[in-house]
Amino acid sequence: MTSPGLEALSLGDSAITIRFGTEKSPALLARIQAAAATIARAKLEGVEDIVPAYLAVTVFYDTLNRNYADLAAQLLKVCESVDEKAADPAGAREHVIPTRYDGIDLESVAAATGLSTEEVITRHTARTYRVDLLGFVPGFAYMSELDESLALPRLSQPRPRVAAGSVAIAAHQTAVYPLDTPGGWHIIGTTEVVMFDPIRSEPALLRAGDTVRFERVK
Amino acid sequence: MIAIERAPPYLTVQDDGRRRSRAAGVPRAGAMDSFALGAANAVVGNSLSAAVLEWGLGGGSIRFEEECFFALAGAAPSATLAGAPVAPLTTIQARSGDELVINQLDSGWFLYIAFRGGLDVPVVLHSRSTYLPGKFGGFEGRLLRNGDSLRLREPLGPAPSPGFHVPANLIPAYAAGVVHVTPGPQGSLFNEHAWRSVLDNGFRISNASDRTGYRLEGTALTMTGAALASEAGCPGAIQVPGDGKLIALMADAPTVGGYPKIAVISEPDLPILAQRQPGQTVRFELITIEQSQRAARRRASELNTIRHLAESSLRRA
Repeated sequence: MTSPGLEALSLGDSAITIRFGTEKSPALLARIQAAAATIARAKLEGVEDIVPAYLAVTVFYDTLNRNYADLAAQLLKVCESVDEKAADPAGAREHVIPTRYDGIDLESVAAATGLSTEEVITRHTARTYRVDLLGFVPGFAYMSELDESLALPRLSQPRPRVAAGSVAIAAHQTAVYPLDTPGGWHIIGTTEVVMFDPIRSEPALLRAGDTVRFERVK
Repeated sequence: MIAIERAPPYLTVQDDGRRRSRAAGVPRAGAMDSFALGAANAVVGNSLSAAVLEWGLGGGSIRFEEECFFALAGAAPSATLAGAPVAPLTTIQARSGDELVINQLDSGWFLYIAFRGGLDVPVVLHSRSTYLPGKFGGFEGRLLRNGDSLRLREPLGPAPSPGFHVPANLIPAYAAGVVHVTPGPQGSLFNEHAWRSVLDNGFRISNASDRTGYRLEGTALTMTGAALASEAGCPGAIQVPGDGKLIALMADAPTVGGYPKIAVISEPDLPILAQRQPGQTVRFELITIEQSQRAARRRASELNTIRHLAESSLRRA
């Protein structure tokens, strides 16, 4: 099912993926995040969960009470009316994450990028990052717009355990590990901020669309 | 109270999972075999999604510290209650002090034990299910161990009648190993040859399978599709990574991923895959999304039928 520029695809019998384009861009991401907010506000019958991503938003629904084709048509209609300017500006928050730059990979990142460790820290704290999406594990936020000079491929061998609170970089993104998990990103620092707490009223600190700065603490 | 006397290597509390927190990266979790969850609950008069024990990888025992109705479902166990054999999908009454011994699982991966009232553990993000990688939900976010005690919730309706058994025609065809799929969001990126590889051959469940995903061994796809920008997946999605070896996402799978999803398993057939053990095979058959939705509704109505039969057998008793 399609409408101009949009395509609805089934993801099994209880989810619909609405694809907005084929090329990643900040504008497309903003439009998709705006669409997710608009779908949530529309309170469509049977909609249970909404997951925005880079090229598509996925809507999970109650398959016992909604037909795929009807809901897909309804979602396409809602999404057509959305442009990135429709994003609710009050919805996006700004966060500052105090960080000790003591990560085990800080030296190797400096060596690989040809920068001093001080310069790596300066460039990491200089940027304001945008949360693209959450995934991998609960509360793990992929943040983009990392300084070009810090872009490194992931570790060839992921570590079996990365501690919660590790501040890390890989490719053009940065992130904070919310839980102790395996991980293949370069760890440059540590924060005390709790990124995910399942019993908090909003368990994940960050939402897609939020902006984040890292602030150096000793 | 239910006391865990000898825990098997894998034992958690599960219900039907978290369905409202995916945008925060929280996986669904919940029972791997949704039919067994629903059926075991139905025969003890619980809501279909009440919290149960999900038991795997070996034998063990529990002790009832109060009188209680319970039922087994899912993997076929050899089990005894106070020394007498216990049949699955049957309403059984335990007396206080009785020991339920699971000697072994004869077939299948996950055994479910539902107790009347349901297990009383805290609700975390709308669910009582355990998500082990995140160490939350269920019983303290962890595997149950020897010496743990679980409380039961207050039962809602009248007590079920012991001996009720689920009619065979309402039990899914686990043994056939046939699993229906619908085309995935990237299904159209794959050519006919790739689709034939998926549909014409059986796949063996790899040893490297767990609640996050089942690796499927068999004909690797020669066409893999380019890596995608990450987007949402779901339990049952069949991913095609760069090596062309299929992975079926299961209950604890991450909420987003970057591999193309050629197909998605019809939800009512996911229990059939979930109960296949490493080394056993599955075969996929393509259906439409409309057929898959009808099958999901049929399953829901069958589980409700089981509940009503269990209740009316009570009225006859």
